[in-house]
Amino acid sequence: MTRAQAAVAAEITQMVRQELGWTGDPPPADAPLAERLDSLHLLALVVAVEDRYHVVLTDDDAAAARSLADLSRLVVERAPVERLPEEASP
Amino acid sequence: MAATPDPAILSIGRALPTNYVDQETLTAALSAAWAEQHYNAERLDQIHRATLVSGRHLALPIDEYAGLGGLRKRSDAWLRVALDVGERAVRDGLARAGLEPRDVDQIFFVTTTGLATPSLDARLVNRLGMRPEVRRTPIFGLGCLGGAAGISRACDALRAWPDAVAVMLSVELCSLTLQREDLSVANVVATGLFGDGAAAVVLGGGARAVPRGLPRVVATRSVFYPETEWVMGWEIVDDGFKVLLSAQVPDVVAGHIGGDVDRFLASLGLARADVRHWLAHTGGPRVLEAIRGALGLPEAALERSYRSLREVGNLSSASVLFVLGDHLDSGEAREGDVGLVAAMGPGFSAELALLRW
Repeated sequence: MTRAQAAVAAEITQMVRQELGWTGDPPPADAPLAERLDSLHLLALVVAVEDRYHVVLTDDDAAAARSLADLSRLVVERAPVERLPEEASP
Repeated sequence: MAATPDPAILSIGRALPTNYVDQETLTAALSAAWAEQHYNAERLDQIHRATLVSGRHLALPIDEYAGLGGLRKRSDAWLRVALDVGERAVRDGLARAGLEPRDVDQIFFVTTTGLATPSLDARLVNRLGMRPEVRRTPIFGLGCLGGAAGISRACDALRAWPDAVAVMLSVELCSLTLQREDLSVANVVATGLFGDGAAAVVLGGGARAVPRGLPRVVATRSVFYPETEWVMGWEIVDDGFKVLLSAQVPDVVAGHIGGDVDRFLASLGLARADVRHWLAHTGGPRVLEAIRGALGLPEAALERSYRSLREVGNLSSASVLFVLGDHLDSGEAREGDVGLVAAMGPGFSAELALLRW
């Protein structure tokens, strides 16, 4: 995982905790999200990621982004630079 | 001494509010609020399309929902419209059964979408001119299983009074619980799924004559799932009812319904293969798939539930009664056929009723 992806992954972990009320241990970056979050929570996470980073995630994207690492990679590739956390700046 | 025959379902009256709105229009009405809070404007449309619902009847004209703030306004609207559709459903049911309001000995009323004291059944006793001796049983909070549970409770009473006539009325105005400011995924799914309507089941005790072609309720069963309060329900907020809806509803249904049905049927000396007519609460697409998968049914077995979902949405406790009413209208069942009514809802619980024609 690059520094930018790690910064985004840290933010998404915070979003999972704050917006979805997640109280368990943060999911490992390479753990399948579907094993940790039910389908409504996954959908809520996708909506939160779209809102935060101004990206649009298609069904294919969601299917491909199986883990936090995948999702972070997708966000770094697609998001406008100004939407990424400062730590992710080149 | 010969045993008294089982209670019978004599008819099912139904009524829908006159304001029909297709799903695209409903989605468009919410889209401005969605776009204010969310980046991906298409997401709302995707969520609503996934419900399979093509349109719904609403308690109020669609442009009146914007001014529906506060519990008082919601309750006033609920009472006014619930009385109208409730009265129409009862009159329809009684007319189909060839009965008059004064013939009714017991009235059961189920709802989960509005509160009133005196309850709606009391107000309908006045409106319809039922006898002062009528026994009233209002039941609040069973959610989607209320229609099937109401049939069960009405049959319990009719076994005690086998000469009696009971009306079991369900009125659900789900649209009046809509929280416009809550654009959480759970609420948005609910805005795409739930509709408004009323159904009235007219039942006769076993000692009464039953016309051919109508089913008797042979047995009923309630199944409570311990420690599953989190699956579904309302959070009562200042502005009314806010939906609590876990994505695990289909999983909970799938994990229980097969065994529940098998044990119920076995207690009656029956098995799944003996059931010719499956009459399931419409839930949503994933709930219907869960029921179908758990019971090993072909899609056609639940076609009436899918059709009802498409045409009017999930009407909570009234849904399974619309499905059953549609089935009775079809005249499809033959003498000796067995049917199973199944509904699940907050508790979490299941309610089953075995019918025999």
